Amino acid sequence: MSESLVKLTINGQLIEAPIGLNLIEAAKLIGVEIPHFCYHPDLCIAGNCRMCVVEVATLRTGPTGTPILEWNPKLTIACNTTVVEGMEVLTHTPRIIEARRGVMEFLLINHPLDCPICDQAGECRLQELAMDYGRAESRFVEEKERKPKRTLLGPKIMLDDERCILCSRCIRFMRDVAGQDCLGFMGRGSRSTLTCYPGREPSTNYDLNIVDLCPVGALTSVDFRFKQRVWFLKQTRSLCPHCSTGCNIVIGSRENTVCRLTPRDNEAVNQRWMCDEGRLNYRFINDPTRLVEPLSRMNENVQSLSWDEATRQIAERLTALRDGGEGRIAFIGSAGATTEELFLFRQLAGVLGVTLMDVVPHTGSADARLLQSDRNPNTAGALVTGVAAIPPGSRLLEIAQGIQDGRIRALVVLNEDIIPAGIGADLLGKLELLISVSRLPSAVTEAAHYLLPGATFAEKSGTFINRAGRIQRMNPAVASPGNARPEWRILAGLLAELGQPQEESLESIYRAMAQVLAPVWGVTWDAIGSQGVQLHVD
Amino acid sequence: MTLPIPIDLEARMDELIRHYPEDRRRAAVLWVLHLLQDHFGYLGREQVEWTATKLQLAEINVWELIRFYPMFSEVPRGRFHIKVCRSVSCEQCGCGSIFQQLQKILGVLPETVTPDGLFSVSSVECLAACGTGPVMMINDELYENLTPADVDRIIAGIRATGRIEAPRLLPVPPAHPLERRMLMTAMAKPGYTGSLDDYLAAGGYQSLPKAFGMKPEQTIREVAESRLKGRGGAGFPTGVKWKYVDRRSGKPIYLVCNADESEPGTFKDRQLIYRDPHLLIEGILISCYAIGAQTAYIYIRGEFAAGAEILARAIEEARARNLVGDTILGSDFNCEIHIHRGAGAYICGEETGLIESLEGKRAYPRIKPPFPAVKGLFDCPTVVNNVETLCTVPFIIQHGSEWFRSLGVAGSFGTRIISLSGSVKRPGCYEIEMGKITLRQLIDDVGGGTSRGLPVKAVIPGGSSMPMLPADKLDVTLDFDAIQAAGSMAGSGGVIVLEEGDDLVERALSVARFYAHESCGQCTPCREGTLWMEKIIERIHSGHGRPVDVDLLMNVANNIDGTTICALGEAAAWPIKAFLRHCRTDFEQAVAGGKS
Repeated sequence: MSESLVKLTINGQLIEAPIGLNLIEAAKLIGVEIPHFCYHPDLCIAGNCRMCVVEVATLRTGPTGTPILEWNPKLTIACNTTVVEGMEVLTHTPRIIEARRGVMEFLLINHPLDCPICDQAGECRLQELAMDYGRAESRFVEEKERKPKRTLLGPKIMLDDERCILCSRCIRFMRDVAGQDCLGFMGRGSRSTLTCYPGREPSTNYDLNIVDLCPVGALTSVDFRFKQRVWFLKQTRSLCPHCSTGCNIVIGSRENTVCRLTPRDNEAVNQRWMCDEGRLNYRFINDPTRLVEPLSRMNENVQSLSWDEATRQIAERLTALRDGGEGRIAFIGSAGATTEELFLFRQLAGVLGVTLMDVVPHTGSADARLLQSDRNPNTAGALVTGVAAIPPGSRLLEIAQGIQDGRIRALVVLNEDIIPAGIGADLLGKLELLISVSRLPSAVTEAAHYLLPGATFAEKSGTFINRAGRIQRMNPAVASPGNARPEWRILAGLLAELGQPQEESLESIYRAMAQVLAPVWGVTWDAIGSQGVQLHVD
Repeated sequence: MTLPIPIDLEARMDELIRHYPEDRRRAAVLWVLHLLQDHFGYLGREQVEWTATKLQLAEINVWELIRFYPMFSEVPRGRFHIKVCRSVSCEQCGCGSIFQQLQKILGVLPETVTPDGLFSVSSVECLAACGTGPVMMINDELYENLTPADVDRIIAGIRATGRIEAPRLLPVPPAHPLERRMLMTAMAKPGYTGSLDDYLAAGGYQSLPKAFGMKPEQTIREVAESRLKGRGGAGFPTGVKWKYVDRRSGKPIYLVCNADESEPGTFKDRQLIYRDPHLLIEGILISCYAIGAQTAYIYIRGEFAAGAEILARAIEEARARNLVGDTILGSDFNCEIHIHRGAGAYICGEETGLIESLEGKRAYPRIKPPFPAVKGLFDCPTVVNNVETLCTVPFIIQHGSEWFRSLGVAGSFGTRIISLSGSVKRPGCYEIEMGKITLRQLIDDVGGGTSRGLPVKAVIPGGSSMPMLPADKLDVTLDFDAIQAAGSMAGSGGVIVLEEGDDLVERALSVARFYAHESCGQCTPCREGTLWMEKIIERIHSGHGRPVDVDLLMNVANNIDGTTICALGEAAAWPIKAFLRHCRTDFEQAVAGGKS
């Protein structure tokens, strides 16, 4: 037995668990769920809901020196009890179930039971546990306590105090994790009420995590409120593209519309949190002005093209430029593209003899928690594929100069508005050929000779490599609008047209990449899975 | 901050802030709020914000206290704020008529202020004066044994003079032959004021130098061997508690005196604090010496404002004679004693709720383990002892544990002060040798029999949280084991007598209302269950009970019992269960005679 492990028995099953583990987590190891409301693995123990009660026996030295098993006469809360050698735990005896049924009843007597109009319905712990521990009919005939409803806690969160079960998760999160001690309970007893001091509403970049933490419908997101029944949402495992942290997320979508982003557990990256900026940064996916078909623009003549036709024309024009002399084409990639897309982009550059390429850095202010100043989700991917200059963005001036000089006649831009990066409309006007892969219209797409509609992160598979060198996978939640398609397909099509046929699926492209790209050698698609793999990159 | 704070007021606050560790100044928040409320008459947003800035807290941390502790008010009260006790013993003495009389002559509803701004009235839970009910407080002064006529006279007096005439402390009656006084000996002497000189003349402060002649471990051993059990309610052996103190943590060790007496039916600590403060101080000093503490806090309930003054004066008297402070009596022992005032919350009597409150927070009891002996006040090893327990310590040191064990019976050595109240002719505090007299003797001989001379219906033997004993258990002796064997607990020693003809549903309602009002709201069963019980009993009492309600009530009580963070859950559930067990017919009759 390892020194840091202890042996204990849960429901008759002998298990080994690390010292310091509490009984809720220990039971999870063997697939036993101990119901709870206030406990959360990332927050300090409050022990107030009393739902996780279990029966516990520990070894005591008997009068003759032999150890005897002694059952605690009272029920014990599992969240505040850590594993001890020789401990025996029972999690579902009739006595425990009776106590939990009592707790459930207490939680529900003053609850408004307004599930039909509650946003939390479908992902409410109170609802879920009522299935296991609730009564079919109420024994409560008194008048329910009335409490404030529809209180705004800042611009992002709506509070319904009647639904609150006073678990204090939100208070603990704001105080201990978000670093803003702003929530508290007023009053006493059953009349206790969650609130914040007037003018001191939650105002951090992590406030919306308390909506996820709230086990009931007391805290709801102003953004998501009444938008969609959660059971209609398709849940897709993805990554937040808002910065280089790469928070693991779930995309909630219905009928091809993204309705919300929520954080997904990844102990190595974001634990169970995400920042509000990232969480609310999804509206562009559903933007009605999204580009939906390939276009060509010759003089003032705008024409929509099929993908085959667009690919053929672009390949032909790029080939002609390549063959016309060195250095006539430059590439601007995107550190917001997937690693596979950047890999193909780099290959395309090779085929076309392009040596001048870079990405556009996007920066913002960082915070001490998840949000990084590098707002590109895949700068590391752009570096390992060689698309980004070192440091990223350092060759953009050279590209601008080349256009100015007339040396560079063609520019391929992948999902970037390059005007703020110093390549203005005047320079773009000098180009003989401007190809823009884009999702939304911009000054660049206005000036482009060829416009290829791309896909957002929510619409494709692929990987990002985060700032710590962890490669992680995203999955498509919705289809791209119209004829828009993932950039990897666009790039693969161009490569095929130029005589370099590519694999058909993103996964095969990844596999091909993993054979040649040093940092991902030997890392299989399956190994990346839902939690990612730490790479060894500099 | 624009709030005009007089310089001397802020200086007073700064002095109080220094009573707490540098990095724990939040602990002074209740003091700051008391002083601000005394000065401004209320605690509005300006006061909250000023306090938050002063103590480097978020505003919410101040505001949530004002909404937790009922002594604080966000709106101005009358210049003379009147609090009428409504808890069980006072209710039996007719506190309702006092409350009504006040509303009538003042012409105000509860919680409102007379147009001249002079008076406001509220009904409050137990003021720890159950033996002299009905009682009320006007500002910090206590008025006892009230009749409606007294109320008329007192109010007229204030109206005429514009000030309060502080009532005199009632004299301690001579000992009844069945009493065996130890703690109450000095205070009963004619002319005894509780001053240091009086205390010294009565032989006080002789145990302290005796303790200094022993090693701290010897002192602990002496108390352990005396088998003294805590007098606060749980009856935990004091010596064992002291031995548990973690002395190797390298952190300071604290002693906290629990002077938050507020269990209905209990009013003994009040006597000790008000009448013989130096006995408590000597007990605290010896106990600190024993456990290695250099700082003690007396957590005194907010309503004992005068008691806090008495203790503060006594500490200064003691300091002047080198009994408090550094190198006490020439020894190398240093000890500071600070007063910490509560603000009206029964839950502060629970030792970890008390610690949270002392730290300047809502008094949410902590989940255990860790226990205070390991991680208590300011995360340091802490002993919390009741006033009476600490007052007993000097006698054990002075006369030895063997002598102490000659008093009382095995399992319950020594004397204890019984608070006798309810339907009894001579309520009051009586110090008895444990195990040597029966409940019947206490009621009939010491207490002079029931109020109306009718048979005893039941007796609550240990404060309102303990299960009542039915009339056939009156021959039980007053000691820990005998009362437990009879089906209850000695608790705080508060004996409440219920007489035939008493409205037991109303008494149960009073008890249920108390616990619902005092539930801190932290954990689910107590928070929701206590109010539910109150509502059910209220309905039965008002004639809207249903036959199923009696069993429902029992079931709700069972669902609270044993499932909560602290003992308030049991304290709320046990008495109700006992009411139903022993007076079920009273409830059934109330249901049957009701309207639905």
